[in-house]
Amino acid sequence: MDPKNETAAPSRRAPRSLSRGLLTVVAALALLVAAGFVLAPSSVSSGAVQSMLPFAAVLAIVALGQTLVVMQGGIDLSVAGSVSLVIVIVTHQAYGDDSKVLPAALLALGVSLLTGLGNGLLIGRLGLNPIVATLGTNALLYAAVLGVSGGTPRQTTDLLARLAGDSTLGVPHALVVAVVATAVVTVVVKKTASGRRFEAVGANGSAAWAAGLRVQGFKAGGYVFAQVFYWLGALLLAGILNKPTAYQGDSYLLASVAAVVLGGTSLLGGRGNLVATAVAALFLTQLDQFVLALGFDFAGKTLVQSAAFAIGVALYTINWSRLRRRSDRRAATVAA
Amino acid sequence: MSEDTAVIAESTMVLSGISKNYDGVAALTDVTLDIRRGEVHALLGENGAGKSTLMGVASGEVTPDGGTITGAGQVIDRLTPAVAAQLGIAIVHQHPAVLPDLTVSENIRVAVPASVLGDGSEQTRTMQRMLADVGSSAHLEDRVVGLSVAQRHLLELAKALALEPRLLILDEPTAPLGADSVDMLFERVRRAAASGTAVVYITHRLAEVRELADRVTVLRDGKVRGVAEVDAITDDELLALIVGRQFESTFPPKPPQEELGDEVLVVDGISGAGFSDVSFTARAGEIIGISGIVGNGQSEVLRALSGLGSFSGSIVVGRDSRSSRNLRKQSAYLPADRHAEGLMMSLSVRENAALSALDRFRGRVLLDRGREDSLVGAELDALEVKTASPETVVSALSGGNQQKVVLARALLARPAIVLADEPTQGVDVGARAEIYRILREVSASGVPVVVASSDAKELEGLCDRVLVMSRGAVLDVVEGVDVTEQRLIHSAVSATVRQGGVARAVSSASTRLGRFLTGDYAPVVILALVMLLLGAFVLSQNSRYLAPFNLTSVMTSCAALGFIALGQTIVLMTGGIDLSVGPLAGFLVVIGSFFLTAEKSAAVMVLGLLVMLAAAVGTGAANGSLIRFAKFTPVAATLASYIGIQGLSYLLRDSPGGNIAISVTRLVKTKVGPVPVVFLLLVVVAVALEYGLRRRLPGLRLRALGSNEDASRRVGVNVDRTAVLAYVAASFFVFLGAIVLLGQLGIGDPAQGVGYTLSSITAVVLGGTSLLGGRGTFIGTLLGAGLIVQVFNAMVFLDLSQTWQYFFQGALIVAAAVIYSQVRRARA
Repeated sequence: MDPKNETAAPSRRAPRSLSRGLLTVVAALALLVAAGFVLAPSSVSSGAVQSMLPFAAVLAIVALGQTLVVMQGGIDLSVAGSVSLVIVIVTHQAYGDDSKVLPAALLALGVSLLTGLGNGLLIGRLGLNPIVATLGTNALLYAAVLGVSGGTPRQTTDLLARLAGDSTLGVPHALVVAVVATAVVTVVVKKTASGRRFEAVGANGSAAWAAGLRVQGFKAGGYVFAQVFYWLGALLLAGILNKPTAYQGDSYLLASVAAVVLGGTSLLGGRGNLVATAVAALFLTQLDQFVLALGFDFAGKTLVQSAAFAIGVALYTINWSRLRRRSDRRAATVAA
Repeated sequence: MSEDTAVIAESTMVLSGISKNYDGVAALTDVTLDIRRGEVHALLGENGAGKSTLMGVASGEVTPDGGTITGAGQVIDRLTPAVAAQLGIAIVHQHPAVLPDLTVSENIRVAVPASVLGDGSEQTRTMQRMLADVGSSAHLEDRVVGLSVAQRHLLELAKALALEPRLLILDEPTAPLGADSVDMLFERVRRAAASGTAVVYITHRLAEVRELADRVTVLRDGKVRGVAEVDAITDDELLALIVGRQFESTFPPKPPQEELGDEVLVVDGISGAGFSDVSFTARAGEIIGISGIVGNGQSEVLRALSGLGSFSGSIVVGRDSRSSRNLRKQSAYLPADRHAEGLMMSLSVRENAALSALDRFRGRVLLDRGREDSLVGAELDALEVKTASPETVVSALSGGNQQKVVLARALLARPAIVLADEPTQGVDVGARAEIYRILREVSASGVPVVVASSDAKELEGLCDRVLVMSRGAVLDVVEGVDVTEQRLIHSAVSATVRQGGVARAVSSASTRLGRFLTGDYAPVVILALVMLLLGAFVLSQNSRYLAPFNLTSVMTSCAALGFIALGQTIVLMTGGIDLSVGPLAGFLVVIGSFFLTAEKSAAVMVLGLLVMLAAAVGTGAANGSLIRFAKFTPVAATLASYIGIQGLSYLLRDSPGGNIAISVTRLVKTKVGPVPVVFLLLVVVAVALEYGLRRRLPGLRLRALGSNEDASRRVGVNVDRTAVLAYVAASFFVFLGAIVLLGQLGIGDPAQGVGYTLSSITAVVLGGTSLLGGRGTFIGTLLGAGLIVQVFNAMVFLDLSQTWQYFFQGALIVAAAVIYSQVRRARA
């Protein structure tokens, strides 16, 4: 066999380091903020930033969970149902009674863990396609959402509103939680043996199995821990919003995947850029602000999101240096 | 033939000055090869010498960086597999370009033009004759996934010979074949050459060159080292050209018998899938080799020893008897396919090397990066891994250095036993000697080392004792001075002559019923039964269930979902997915609501339909192009359009509006009895698609692409075009679905349609189409869509809430996915 043929395919994907994803999103965020100052100052006013940050924090936390799943080469469509279910559990079970918030939150955590185990079992152990499996669990979760809430929204409890929605010294609590969550998951993934193995399993399951790792366990673990992040994000969201709807999680499906992809984590699995995911969540949330401040409506906002997403993916998938070389050569021949 | 005519014999193809680099590593440098009409031209060289790359260039699969290709007297600017096929170039790949999910006959039809095969029953006869001609025992309707390696090679050969090519390229064709098949092959090759075909025969066996070839070209490290008439060059001269100067010094010295230590490995009567009753022992310092013709159980024994395959019997390493689980944790396995099983190609050298020894770097809580760097660095230095830095991505390394990284990982983990499958496959010559040296050192340290290799020369140089395997059993054990290439090959070959080698039966249980139960249509029957049962149950609860009004409404809903799901099926068949179908359906309805309203003229309405169609086709083309040309994953590409199209819908209408003309809705709702015409159309379309999928070339290409993209490309399928067209076709069916939806909704509503993404995927999964691509049915999708609509409808009649609607949808998709995947797994 000829070795050169084997190396041809993978080498086309340019090797990228951890920092490239982070660099890209930080640069994008800086550009966006700069554009804000020039074109739409209201999008970077302190009031706007204060109200934007808690939502960015929630998206960041949810997207961290999605990153763990994507690192395993999967995708979690059940994020919508999970976030919605946690929200209806804490708003309906603890309706108007601060003392019931903790039990309700724990109950929601239990449900989330169970969901994660279910996804993990279906995908890690039974080998189902992640899209199909999480599509199914998402429908089951929505059955539960309707079962609990009947589809009606409820006012959030005061305690949760204070804990999740308020700020201390001008720093929104949700932001603190998001920063801590990002730090913890980054350290666990990058600095512990289990985390490194987790990353290796995602990069190549067969090789990890041959190297003696418990591949199914790691794959399933990704889905379980993802649910913990969804739970945390949903809990915060339930406090930030005054009256969350029963379908509050819907908007987090695409947004979380977008944040993962913009952060430079490949949908094919492998290395996860967790900090970059969190920054990408901030970028996406601020992008919404910016577009709205420019006077666009929902349609414009959605189109800009789509474009940002596509450009973000193209940054990583297209071999720009090769394209540049080709166009240089073409220019040279034309000149000659 | 006189001397003169031989000299001026016309060239079938001339490759001149060919160069090819991969990542700056030269695979071919200024290679010139003149292939003449009617000759058998042997291409000799070691693994990694560039033979396959050169033939990839000749067959249009590899685009060279420089040089010219002249075929039939003309310079060919850009040779693609399709152009090569027109020029009469056929290649028999070392790894057959066959499509596992297709049947034997479908594999032939997708690769061989209809002009060769003929039509109807003549076609079947031609195909049977082709198979018989190469001595294949495969049945035309057998799925290739169930064929043995040898049978796949014969199929590959049959496809190439059927073309009666002007240039026939054979890439190590005898490796998996038994002796009788080899004789047959040689006879076919001689016959082809006699009829004027130019034959290029790639091999690393001198004996075959002597027996078959007229001329020989030797490649080493991507350069031509010599061209000669076979009769005018000796074996020793050829060997010198092949291996260059390192011939003698490649292998480390073997330890003398008296220096060997105690027994460190005792394998006693192990059996498993592909091998039986294998026993041997190894003393400290001995390297054990496993030899034999490829595919006779060597790899399986290694996998059992490394804990990757199950076994019965006993394996004692050191003093302890080992279970599979224990072996998998304690062994170090160097796989033949490093990319699939050896390395995490996207991670760095350090991360790959450290993986199995992470516990050694553990600090108090976290990993101690300093210790990791120093230990890993020391090991990489000791193995002389050539890498810019430990942080370099491992995919950037050469094959030899990648193999050393696998070795580094193995050694850092201090394994109990080392297993190496084809350890120098794809490894450059220089690194090869170092790998041999390392294996020898490991063995000297008392860790048992077992090596399987198809290269008898390698086993001769490296091993102290070699087991020769045939058909899963140990045939012969060769020791000491007897370990020679000739002896090993003789043992292996003499066994296979008697046993016929290739005649492994496809599947003894290939009965009609068995084939059906494991085939694509089993889900169809299951679904039909479920639908009947559900229908009967609902009817028993509510007698109005079968009222014409309800039937009509169910079938209309089914038509909308059905068309969209058919489109989704096309894409899934290629191994892709289209998440944008839902928003697209909604968007098309919104477009329609501007044109197809009451006050508009017929011309405007037709224009509206055209605009809808254009929007659909444009979306499909955009999706396909993003995936194929911008290298987006299907999820990423169609997610981007999902969001974008939703934005466009809201851009056109931010709230429901634009009442569809009654004339239009009435037209869409036309009925024959209680049955809507659109539903009848759906059924007809599904049946037609099904026929196309099985019997027509585009359908075969679609499934070929989903089954194995690389093999599809090699048999001449234009994979980019096929994939992009699949997305365009999917969008076209969404357009048909949108027309039904238009009539159903009667208004343009930007919020509608999105749900069709999920329900279309659900329908396809229920219908039994594999999301891995290559397999599936449109009829199944049709029934899947029917079941979904039926369930929703039943909720109304059973007076169940929306909660149950979600519950059943979720439960159905999970149950179907679990059942089908378990059935498929049992089959494999």
